[in-house]
Amino acid sequence: MSAPKSPSAEELLSFGLNPSWSRRVTFLNTAGTPVDWHVLDTGAGPLGTLVCVHGNPTWSYLFKDVLTTLAPGWRVIAVDQSGMGYSERNHPRRLSERIDELVQFCRQEVCGPVVLVAHDWGGPVAVGAAGHLNVQALILANTAVAKPEGVEVPPLIKAARALVDFSCRRTPMFVRGTAAMTTKEHRKALNAPYRSADRREAVRDFVADIPLGPDDPSAEALALVGTTFDQLTCPILLIWGGKDPVFHDRFLSDLRRRQPSASIERHPNSGHLVLLDGAVGPVIAQWLNLQASGLPADASDTLNDQLVDETVFSSLTRHSSDTSTIYRGPDGSLTWEDLGRRAEKASKVLAMGGLRPGDRVALLVPPSPDLLVAAAAVWRCGGVLAVVDPSGGLWSIRRLLRAQAPRMVIGTRRTLLGDRLFRFTPGSIAAGFGVRGVALDLDASIDAALPMVGLHREDLAAIVHTSGATGPAKAVRYTHGALTSQREALRALVQPEPDQVFTTSFAAFLLLAPVLEMSCVRPDIPIDQPSALGFDELFAASDGGPIGTAWLSPASARQLTKTAAGRSIAIGRTLLAGAPIPAPLAHSVKEITGGLVLAPYGMTECLPITGGEDPELIGPSGGTSVGFPVDGCTVKVVSLSDPRQALGDGQWGEILVNAPWMFAGYDGAWTKSEASTLDLDGISFHRTGDVGYFNEGRLYILGRLAHVLSTKDGPRASVAIEGPIATALGCEVAAVGVGPEGLQVVTVVLNTQGKLRLAEPNLALEARRVSNVPLAAVLEGTLPVDHRHQSKVDRTVLRDLVATFLEGR
Amino acid sequence: MLVTGSSSLLGKEVVAALSARGDDVCGFQRSASSPHRSITGDIRDRDAVMKAAEGNDAIIHLAALVAPKPSWNDAYAVNVVGTSNIVHAANELGRLVHISTPSVGFAHEPSMGGGAEAPAYAGRDRYARSKALGEQLVLKESTAQTIILRPHLLWGPGDTQLVGRLLERAAEGRLALPDHGRALIGTMYVDDAAAAIVAALDRTGDSPQLSGQAFLVTGGDPRPVGELVHGILAAFGMERKIASIPAPLAKLLGSVIERVWRGDEPPLTAFAAEQLSMAHWFDQRATESALNWQPQVSVDEGLSLLAAWASTELGQQFLNGLRHRNRV
Repeated sequence: MSAPKSPSAEELLSFGLNPSWSRRVTFLNTAGTPVDWHVLDTGAGPLGTLVCVHGNPTWSYLFKDVLTTLAPGWRVIAVDQSGMGYSERNHPRRLSERIDELVQFCRQEVCGPVVLVAHDWGGPVAVGAAGHLNVQALILANTAVAKPEGVEVPPLIKAARALVDFSCRRTPMFVRGTAAMTTKEHRKALNAPYRSADRREAVRDFVADIPLGPDDPSAEALALVGTTFDQLTCPILLIWGGKDPVFHDRFLSDLRRRQPSASIERHPNSGHLVLLDGAVGPVIAQWLNLQASGLPADASDTLNDQLVDETVFSSLTRHSSDTSTIYRGPDGSLTWEDLGRRAEKASKVLAMGGLRPGDRVALLVPPSPDLLVAAAAVWRCGGVLAVVDPSGGLWSIRRLLRAQAPRMVIGTRRTLLGDRLFRFTPGSIAAGFGVRGVALDLDASIDAALPMVGLHREDLAAIVHTSGATGPAKAVRYTHGALTSQREALRALVQPEPDQVFTTSFAAFLLLAPVLEMSCVRPDIPIDQPSALGFDELFAASDGGPIGTAWLSPASARQLTKTAAGRSIAIGRTLLAGAPIPAPLAHSVKEITGGLVLAPYGMTECLPITGGEDPELIGPSGGTSVGFPVDGCTVKVVSLSDPRQALGDGQWGEILVNAPWMFAGYDGAWTKSEASTLDLDGISFHRTGDVGYFNEGRLYILGRLAHVLSTKDGPRASVAIEGPIATALGCEVAAVGVGPEGLQVVTVVLNTQGKLRLAEPNLALEARRVSNVPLAAVLEGTLPVDHRHQSKVDRTVLRDLVATFLEGR
Repeated sequence: MLVTGSSSLLGKEVVAALSARGDDVCGFQRSASSPHRSITGDIRDRDAVMKAAEGNDAIIHLAALVAPKPSWNDAYAVNVVGTSNIVHAANELGRLVHISTPSVGFAHEPSMGGGAEAPAYAGRDRYARSKALGEQLVLKESTAQTIILRPHLLWGPGDTQLVGRLLERAAEGRLALPDHGRALIGTMYVDDAAAAIVAALDRTGDSPQLSGQAFLVTGGDPRPVGELVHGILAAFGMERKIASIPAPLAKLLGSVIERVWRGDEPPLTAFAAEQLSMAHWFDQRATESALNWQPQVSVDEGLSLLAAWASTELGQQFLNGLRHRNRV
């Protein structure tokens, strides 16, 4: 058998690799036969050793970014598997032999614990070896440890397998096809070791060894790999390209289900070769450093084991024979009793349909009694609700649901048709009301009792999405523990009274009805248009009677004031989302409702944070008060230049929050979650990205951190600049900074109709006179607002517009 | 020390500032009309320059030929040969402050807070090109402790360049700005420029590490051209609506006019159109810390000072002088 030569120094240089990394290693396998491998080895590193295992048909080049980023702190060894890359060509290997070779290689070359990194079919090899080695951490990219239930063998693999000799050995089809999955710069290097048919023998053998059925030779070895993976206790990082036609998101979903605590970094725009496409080196380095510092998991282990004594929906059991109405809307009403009975039945159907605890379920049910039943049933089974906002549009729904790869989708006939048509959740089990298949409203009685699912505080309960008003929508994870704690905080905010009704313009908030134990009425408006909720719709919803609490979006609050026309409607408590709310708006709502009007501060990641304020108060340093932090929520204001430094009363900075009802990170976005978290005094805080300050216990919001102006006199908050000018001129004003960081000059734009232009000279003079900072330019024109809520001035867009305008041409 | 160009707006201010703190100042100018000690001479004449420099310890070189379209021979003779003579004289004395312009680094791109570029301008504008050659020459040949300052768009009471021309144009009703004057530009009140020059002179004495460096100096308070022009006209009670032409058209017109115009003051050049239609304000954090100087007069303060001056007898004389010139 031929031992191919290592690549020449020139060749390695042309690939962007350091020629001194290339060396050959000979070791003995368990049978005592010498094996000759080519490896890229960066040499001694004080932090530890990574061993990287490529898949088929790539080679150690795949880890270029890992090699270059992690060395010299870490020693990185990327191996060429037997028959692959520049390693020895000889007899075909089975999975078990490949595992054995990796184990023996590591035993000879690495002393101490090892970090295994693997991609594609290197994944089963590495996981198999992990069972025999002292593994410090495991990092996997677009791979599998088993064929997930319900997933077909990828058609591309099937096709390659059918004509395996032709596609993989005789022609470079498979090699070239794989290399074509990444950018051009990598293709030459990826193809290099596989230029002739005899050098591609192992490529064919690798594909031929993939177990498609239980009788294939490596089926048993792969099954063992699956078990090993499930039992691993080391930290695991999954790096995933979301555009992989072979190892698609359902494989990720399977790995996630097997190891729920794995960190996941999903690159939605990268493909199969994510290790080359995405800048993964820095992510791996950051993740490994964090594992080394020993912060994660250990401390919260005790919490992990705690069962949730009461889930958010456990009120159902208390009200099991309560015939009072819990929900009323244009699509029917629901009593407590109905809800309990229907949910219990639906949960049995779901369990029989294949839903297991921890599985994700996409909810495509419009607000209705069915929505409440479906949510209660999923939680009863221990499932995880994935909720998307329909107003984002088809593509947004598709993008968000694809990333979830839910096991099941619950919808109506119409939404399920859409789901299949647009392939939101390919391969999921469809369930719903009035549908064939898994019919949640099945009439026949089911005798078998569903065992109670023990839910732990740390178990995932729901994935909700941020509105996308500021940047692309993010998937936010909520645990059962957080939801249980949130219930108490929301009760304090809403103050439900049993005989009063609750209404809202937010479709998802309807789920709060059984949580708050308050009868909920749904106004008759399209679910994706909160702005359609005006006076008449509210009036009709309550039959003209009083409303206990209404939770409104700023858009519907505006619509309410626009359509009231001097009439009034009794609402005891109006909660306005999107704090801070302009004081005039809060005022108008108060006049119409005659009750309390509060704009509690909070966000998808943590709600609520403060209790709101009535009436609105303008702070001594600008901004509107959002009231006092609610019980149980810790709010800190920290320095912009050093977020570890907490600031005192009156000093403004970034707002950090911690509450038991806080989210549990962004889903599939480990780096983003890390960046939004800050540990202070042993407490993990969420960085809100908002700026503000405390004054006599009240929190005042000064806008977004991203909108802070970086002037030569230091940072300036946009809201603090805008306040006095808006008051003096009686119009909406937005302040933006143009120029390089640390040297930005302040420009204010007065909101008037039309294109951006220099303001009338007398307006400019007046603005300068009242401004608390020097202004470089005073402009006027229509202010851009976020397309989502149509309520917040998009200062990022405005800043670019202003910069282009002032730059001239 | 010797101050060339001492009869100019800035020259007078510098001489006054230095005299006020008791320095022994001698002006050097083409025609004698100064309350301070001065020598009449031509910087193109090396002997005259060398003779005038004798007995001084430093030169502040302000003299330059500034015009929209000077003859190249004149521009070269004053801004390059003249500068060469000054450098020679300063090499004997040991200290030099050379006054340049940000235009020497102009690359037909807007600057939004950019830094000092190399003096590589080689375009059609003769003033900027000759000043760029002059600065290159200073960098190459000066052996004295040398600091180069590039003050940007000076204005103030008695300024015939920016203020004077604006008032003339406005009076004639032929003032138009590209795109309503939306470009953000940094300018400088004359007192601040004088203070910066005095600071630079002192630094040639106490900070040898700064030698050979060029610093941008502005008032650090940029404004849109349109607002600035409006403010200056308003200071003289000449508020009026300013016409606008699209910036690309202005550039086109400028390049046509400068080619066909006979004489050194075409009403518009491509260079002027570019300067008026593109942002140019600068990062002068390095300047402020190196010179240990900071601008004191904001645009608004400068405008009130200008308005106050406009209502004085001097201001009225200035305005009448412009009117008189127009009639001729």
